[in-house]
Amino acid sequence: MNLDAHDIPLVAALAATILAPLAAALHVARGGSQVDPRRPAIISLLVALAASLTITRAWMSGPEVTLELGQRLGGGFLVHVDGVTAVLLPFVAIVELAIVMMAPKRFLDGPATSRILLGAATTFALFSTAHPLVLIMAWVVTALPTWWSTRATPGGQTAARVYAIMMTLAVACMAVGTVMMIVDPPWEPGVGALGTAGGWFVALAVLVRKGIVPFHSWYPALYRGAPMSTALAATVPQIASYTAVRLFFGHADHGDGVGAELVVLSQLALLTATYGAALALVQRDLRGLVGTLAMSQSALVLAGLAGKLPMELNGAFCTWISSGLALTGLGLVGWALESRAGPLSLETPQGRFADAPLLAAFFLLFGLASIGLPGTLSFVADDLLVSGSLDEQLHAGLLVIAATVLSAISVMRGWFMVFGGPANLDGPRHHVLPRERIALTALLATIVLLGLWPAPLVRELERAGSELLGVPLEPRDPAASPRYEKPAGGGTSIDEVGTITGDVLVGGEWLRGCAGAGLPGEMKDLDQPVDPQSPREQSCTSVGHPIAAATTAPSAPTSRASASFISASGSIPSPASRSASRSSSMPAG
Amino acid sequence: MTIPGAGRLVGLLAATFASAHNIVAALVVLQLAAPAASLVLVGLPALLDRPLSERATTRLVGSAFTVAFLAGLAMFAVLSARGFAPEQVHLGTWFSVGHHDATIDLVADGLSVPYVCFSTGLCALVNAFAGKYLHREPGFTRFFVLLSLFGTGMNLMVLAGSIDVLFAGWEFLGISSTMLIGFFHERTNALKAALRAFTTYRICDVGLLAAGVMIHRDVGSGDFERLFGGVWPHAECLVSPGTATLVSLLLVFAAMGKSGQVPFSNWLPRAMEGPTPSSAIFYGALSIHAGAYLLLRCEALLDAAWLARLALVAIGAGTAVHAALVGRVQTDLKSMLAYASMTQAGIIFVEIGIGLRVVALVHIVSHAILRSLQILRSPSALHDRHELEAALGGHPGAASWSVVNLLPEHVQRRLYRVALDRGFEELVVSRLVVGPVWRSLERLGQAELGWIEWLGTRPQDRARDLAERRAQGRSR
Repeated sequence: MNLDAHDIPLVAALAATILAPLAAALHVARGGSQVDPRRPAIISLLVALAASLTITRAWMSGPEVTLELGQRLGGGFLVHVDGVTAVLLPFVAIVELAIVMMAPKRFLDGPATSRILLGAATTFALFSTAHPLVLIMAWVVTALPTWWSTRATPGGQTAARVYAIMMTLAVACMAVGTVMMIVDPPWEPGVGALGTAGGWFVALAVLVRKGIVPFHSWYPALYRGAPMSTALAATVPQIASYTAVRLFFGHADHGDGVGAELVVLSQLALLTATYGAALALVQRDLRGLVGTLAMSQSALVLAGLAGKLPMELNGAFCTWISSGLALTGLGLVGWALESRAGPLSLETPQGRFADAPLLAAFFLLFGLASIGLPGTLSFVADDLLVSGSLDEQLHAGLLVIAATVLSAISVMRGWFMVFGGPANLDGPRHHVLPRERIALTALLATIVLLGLWPAPLVRELERAGSELLGVPLEPRDPAASPRYEKPAGGGTSIDEVGTITGDVLVGGEWLRGCAGAGLPGEMKDLDQPVDPQSPREQSCTSVGHPIAAATTAPSAPTSRASASFISASGSIPSPASRSASRSSSMPAG
Repeated sequence: MTIPGAGRLVGLLAATFASAHNIVAALVVLQLAAPAASLVLVGLPALLDRPLSERATTRLVGSAFTVAFLAGLAMFAVLSARGFAPEQVHLGTWFSVGHHDATIDLVADGLSVPYVCFSTGLCALVNAFAGKYLHREPGFTRFFVLLSLFGTGMNLMVLAGSIDVLFAGWEFLGISSTMLIGFFHERTNALKAALRAFTTYRICDVGLLAAGVMIHRDVGSGDFERLFGGVWPHAECLVSPGTATLVSLLLVFAAMGKSGQVPFSNWLPRAMEGPTPSSAIFYGALSIHAGAYLLLRCEALLDAAWLARLALVAIGAGTAVHAALVGRVQTDLKSMLAYASMTQAGIIFVEIGIGLRVVALVHIVSHAILRSLQILRSPSALHDRHELEAALGGHPGAASWSVVNLLPEHVQRRLYRVALDRGFEELVVSRLVVGPVWRSLERLGQAELGWIEWLGTRPQDRARDLAERRAQGRSR
C-alpha cells in the first residue's frame, strides 16, 4: 500500500466510518443492548457521520487529491476517496441515522438493527472503493439483508421473490461483466470484443439494480412488501449509480470521458423517470406512491450522470442527495403514521390531519422538498439538471421537466388523500415522539440549509465532475460577468474574486491556488495588490495552465490519478499560448 | 449565497444609515425580509407544536406587512424624487456552475415599487380582516403561515431582478395558493379544487421554467439587465427577435395558468372553496394578476415578438368573452365574482398585448382593490341587500338590460346553454385530455401490479391457483 503520512488521518476517518456501524452490528447481533438496540445503533452512526464529515472537511480544505490505495484491479483501487466519496459518505450516514431514529420500536429488535447496521457499513465500504471485485461483493452483501428482511415481513413474500429474481440477475451480470472487463480492460487502447461485451453486461446489471425500464417493477414492490427502513436503505444510497460512476467514467476510447453504456442507460433512465412519475399519479396506496417516486427520482440521477458537461453531472449529484434526503423523510413520515394508523390508502381521503397535524406538516415539507421548492436543494438540482439536459438534448430536457411536473402533482395528491378528508373524531391523536421530531427536523434542516447555501456543495461537485470527465473546469470569462468592472488607476491588483472557487482575476487572467490569494473557497479583498513576480504568487496556477514552478514556492497540487486540469510542462507559457490553450481546453457545447 | 455574501448583505444593511445610495437597497431587502421573518417566527413555533396565540400571530404578521408597506412607500418617495430611475440591488451569487450563474438580483423601478406597495397594503388589510374572520378557527395559525409565505413569494416575484428569483417567488405563490384553497381540508370539494389548481399551476409553470433555461442558455445569465435595458415601460429588448419570441410565448403560457386564462381557467371558480380573506387577496387581487405582472415585467420582450402579442390579445379577448358569459349564469356570489375577476384579467391581457402597459398597471391596481372589497363583503351580501332594501323602501329591482339582449332570442338561448356548461371547456379538457390519460395510466398501474403478482408467485403456486380457479369455474 502506498500510504503517505498525510493520508493517515483520512484513512483513519474512513476506517471509523466503516467500522463503527460494523462493530455495533456485531455487538447487537451477539445479544448486546437487548433492551434498547437503538442506542448503540445511533451512537455508531453518529460516529460514522462525524468521521465522514471529517473526510469531507479534509477534502474541501486540503489539496483535493484523490486518495488511491491498495491493489489496482480493473481500473479501480481498493480504497478510492475523491470528491464523490467525500460528499456521498455523510449523505448515507444521515439517511441511515434518520432510519434508525425513526424506526418504530416493535420493528427495531436485535436482528433488524444488526441488519441495518451491517447494510450501512457495507454501503460505506462500497462508496470508498473502485475495486470491481469489492463492488460485486458489496452488491451481494447489501442485497441479502434486504431480501431476508422482506421475506420475514408478513405479506412480503411476493416482493421478496421479485427482489431475489432481479438481484440474482443483476449480480450475475455484474460478476460476468466485471470479469470480462478485468481480462480485457475497455479503458486501455485497443479494447477487444470481450471488454466491450463486459461493459454492456455491467450496464445491464446497473439497469436491473437501479430499477430502470423494463426491470423497474421490483422498486414499488419492495416499498410495498418490505419494511420502509429496508426499502429506503436498499434504494436511497443508489449503489448502482455509484458503480456506474466508477466503471463507466474515464474510458480512454471516449473523448468525452463517458462510456457509451452510460449514454444508453441515461436515455432509458429518462424514460423511466417520466414513466415512474406518471405511474405515481395513479397509485392507490402511500407505499406505492413513495416507491414510484423513488424510482423516478433515482432514474433522474442516472439520466444526469451521462452528461458531458460538469453542470449536468452536478445536477445529477445534487438530485442524488436532495431526492435521497427528501424521499427518506417522506417515507419515514409515512411509516410513522402507518405504524400508528395502519395502511394508508390514496383512493379516498383518509382525514389524518386532525390526528397527526405535525406529521402532516413534515410530510408536506418533505414532499415539497422533493419536487423543487425554492430554498431546498432540489430547487438547485432541478435547475442544473434541466438546464444541462436542455443544453445537450431538447428531448432530454423535456422529459426531465415532464418528470418533475408529474412528481409534484403526485406528491400533492398524496398529501391531500392522506391528510385531507373528514376527520375521525373518535380516533386517538398521534403525537410525535422526541426522537422522531429530532430526526425529522434535522433531516429537513439539512435539506433547507443546503438549499439556501448550496455554493460549497455545488463547488465541490463541480470539481468532482470535472475530474470524472477529465475536463478542466470552465474558466470564467470576466467580460461575460455583468458586474465586471476593472478598477480605475490600472496597476496589478485583484480585479474580481470568483464567488465559489475563490479564483482571482489579475490583469485579465484568472488565477487559482495562489498562496497569496489563499485556498479555493476563501475570498480576498478586491483591489488587493498582487505581485506576480513574488515567490509567493508564483505558486499560482492559471486555470488550466501553470504559470511558474519556482523552487522556493510550494508546488501546485496534483492528483495522483490521471492529471485533471494542470499541465505537466511546468514552464511559463506565453500569454498567446495560454489563451489559445484555454480556448481549446474548454469543453464543446 | 456564500457566507461572505451574507456578510456583504449585513454590511449593506448597516451601511444604509451612512449612505443615501443604499437606502433603496435597504428598503428593498426590508420588503423581502419582513414577510419572510413573519413566516419563520409564526411557522417555526407551530412546527415545534408550540404555536403562538391568535393575538400574537395577527400582530406579528400584521406588523411585518405594515413594515413592508411603509418601506414600499418610502421607496416610492425616494424613486419618484429620482424620476423612477431603476435601482438594481445585487445580493450576490446564489450558486454557480461553469457559465451558469444563479444570481440574487432585485430591482426597484416604476413597475415593482407601486405594485409592491399596494400588494403589501392589501395583505396588511386582509391580515386585519382575517384575524377576526378566522377567530377560533382550527387552522388559524396555518392560515397566517400561508399568508406570510404568500407575501414573501409575492414580494420576491415583484422585486425580482432575475428570472431565477422571479421563479422562486412564483413557486411560493403557487404553493400557498394551493394550500389555502384546500384550507378546509375536511371537505372533499376543497381537496379536489386545490389539486386542480395545483395541477394547472404546475403544467403552466413549465413555460416559466423553460423560459428561464432559454434565457440562461442564450444570454448566459438570468439577469433582466441582460434581457432588456432602459426604464420601464420604455425598456428595449437586448436579445434577438427569435429568442424574444420564443421566451415571450413561454411566458404567456406560464401567465395563463396563474391568471386563469382559457383553457386553464376552470380552477378559478373552484378556488373560492378557500377562506374568504384568501379568496379576496388571491383570486380577486394579487395571485390572479401574477401572470399579468410577469408579462408587464417582460414587456420589452413582447415588443419584439408580434406573435406573442397576437396570442395575448386572442387569449385575453377569448377569456373575457367566455368569463362574461359564464359569469352571468352563476347562482352563487363567489363564483360570479370569480368569473368577474377572470373577465378583467382577460381584458388586462388584451391591454398588455396592444401595448397599453401603464393602463394595464392602473387597471390591475384598481381592479384588485375593488374585487378584494367585493369578495370580503360577499359573506355579508344578503345583509347588505336587506339594508339596501330597507333604505329604499322596497326591492331595488334587477338590472334587466345587457348587450346580450341585442342578440336574437334563439342565439341568447344557445349562449345560455353554453354558459351553463361553462363553455364546454371542462368537457373538452376532462373528456378529451385528462380522462383518457388517467384511464391509460390506471390500466398501466394495474398491469404493473399483475406482473409483480405473477413474477412473485412460485410456478407451483401459480399452477395450483390456476387449477383452483378452473375447478371453481366448472362447479358454477
